[in-house]
Amino acid sequence: MSEEQLTGGPGDTPARRVWDTGYWGPTEPENHPAIVAVREQFPDAYVDAVNFRDEMTLRVERPALREVVQYLRDERSLRYNFLSDLTAVDMLRLRDNPRFDVVVQLYSIPNRQRLRVKSGFNDGDPVPSMVPLFEGANWLEREAYDMFGIVFEGHPDLRRMLLPDDWDEGHPLRKDYPLRGYREYVQPGYESPAPRVSSRFRRP
Amino acid sequence: MSLEISQGTPVEISEERALSEGRRQMVLNMGPQHPSTHGVLRVILTMEGETIVECDPVLGYLHRGVEKLGETHRYSQFVPWTDRTDYVAAPSNNLGYILAVEKLCGIEAPERATYWRMIMGELARLASHLVWLGTHALDIGALSMSLYCFRERELILDIFEKQCGARLTTNMMEMGGFSRPMPDELPGMVRDFCKEFLEKQKEYEALLSSNPIWLSRTRGVGVIEPEAAISYSLTGACLRGSGINYDVRKATPYLYYDRVDFEVPLGTRGDVYDRYLVRMEEMRQSVRIIEQCLDQMPADGPLSLTESPYVIPPHDTVMTTAEDMQRHFIWVIKGFSPPKGEVYQAIEHSKGELGYYVVSDGTPIPYRVRLRTPDFVNLQSLPYMAQGAALADVVALIGTIDIVLGSVDR
Repeated sequence: MSEEQLTGGPGDTPARRVWDTGYWGPTEPENHPAIVAVREQFPDAYVDAVNFRDEMTLRVERPALREVVQYLRDERSLRYNFLSDLTAVDMLRLRDNPRFDVVVQLYSIPNRQRLRVKSGFNDGDPVPSMVPLFEGANWLEREAYDMFGIVFEGHPDLRRMLLPDDWDEGHPLRKDYPLRGYREYVQPGYESPAPRVSSRFRRP
Repeated sequence: MSLEISQGTPVEISEERALSEGRRQMVLNMGPQHPSTHGVLRVILTMEGETIVECDPVLGYLHRGVEKLGETHRYSQFVPWTDRTDYVAAPSNNLGYILAVEKLCGIEAPERATYWRMIMGELARLASHLVWLGTHALDIGALSMSLYCFRERELILDIFEKQCGARLTTNMMEMGGFSRPMPDELPGMVRDFCKEFLEKQKEYEALLSSNPIWLSRTRGVGVIEPEAAISYSLTGACLRGSGINYDVRKATPYLYYDRVDFEVPLGTRGDVYDRYLVRMEEMRQSVRIIEQCLDQMPADGPLSLTESPYVIPPHDTVMTTAEDMQRHFIWVIKGFSPPKGEVYQAIEHSKGELGYYVVSDGTPIPYRVRLRTPDFVNLQSLPYMAQGAALADVVALIGTIDIVLGSVDR
């Protein structure tokens, strides 16, 4: 699909897009200051950097995730000092290995720049916790543990966040978790229990 | 916590333990049915006398798995679900999700629709702040505030109803614009409301801002240091009350927020009273933004994109042309497929930074929808603020964070 079709016809391209993030830095990863600095400082941990819709995504190796984020936070010229979001994505249907991505959305209040740091890992691998760097990561990591079963190494209090503490049916945002759960639940007012939705990805 | 705590009455002492020197601690369960927790928040408090030693919020009583549902619905089908997260400011939630998907597709709404979206977003902010002010004052003891606030909120809900037919869960926006045309009298209604609201807000301030009871309940209570506010990832009035200047509308302007003139109010002490002042000033600035948008908005023009493959074609051409009828059929039956990629779109919600992280695998169903709701992250600061506070202050602290449990639990 051409760019013309995407923007709704020729002659219809205003100076600034409505959904713009206000990003004004270089769009090529080779020139982005944070990417250049991380490549210099962590040559072994750097995997790649992608720009999509003016959002820079930096991918690093899992063991160095916390060091990279700490460097991005403390380096005087970068100062990504605000943790916007921390979450995970189950890449089960998109690739074989590694299965999960942990996604850290960083924001720099003084420089007004966003950066996304990602790191891939398999089921059971410990992911370095961000709580020593940002207190706000506490509940976000608890939620990621709750929904995906990710173990964050160094988290002070890794419990379930939104589901009950005694929930024994696994982690619902995994792609192999059926939409209505593994068990059949009694519906009040109905004779038969709620039907299960069949899924291509069943628990073995 | 290994304690067995019954969930019967809203507040009850479940255990007492003796400490040395005649001191004793007790564990107090507050909620989930307590009226001042604004929904189904449950807080387990460890108290020593009237002082809080430890505070542990328990969430999830309203968890509906919205993110999981997002992975099973088509892009346009998820819009009604966003209404049901933060239901006191539904148009803002629509706006964040729609902007994220539009960014993913690379389309943008026409100018008139964008201005109208800004107006609807700011009206949603006013509606949300009015609920906050009414319930927060009600918790602290000013019962009459809630009556006044809900009176003005009715006018905003009337405007929403005129636009889309619903008052609470609006489902107002759509890819590329609005799903319905704008009634002709609606801009006039918004103008009348703005004029009336500024007068009414003076009455609120006369009632509260120098009220000695209000001052003694809010001054110096729940202080958040600026460094802690950044470390806890607070956004919205909780961050700006501590003096940190971060407003998504100014920092990374979306829509046409760079074309309007407004100010970002900042607090100095970071207590409950400063956050109250910040939100009151934000309401005044919202009215300023709405009036400027009404002035700048083109009087005529489309309220929705028509040509893009990501947008449902308009009804009249569906009925008259074959191409649009086919497009309409495919759009309804199959949905549309954005390119592969991932976007994070943040907007300034009434409670803080609302972020939607959408991952697309090139199919009509999103691969992952992540809602970064502001009040979930802001609520983390409750144990920090409650440390050493009195039991009566917890009510003020929950009110000042401005939570909606539908948005916290998702």
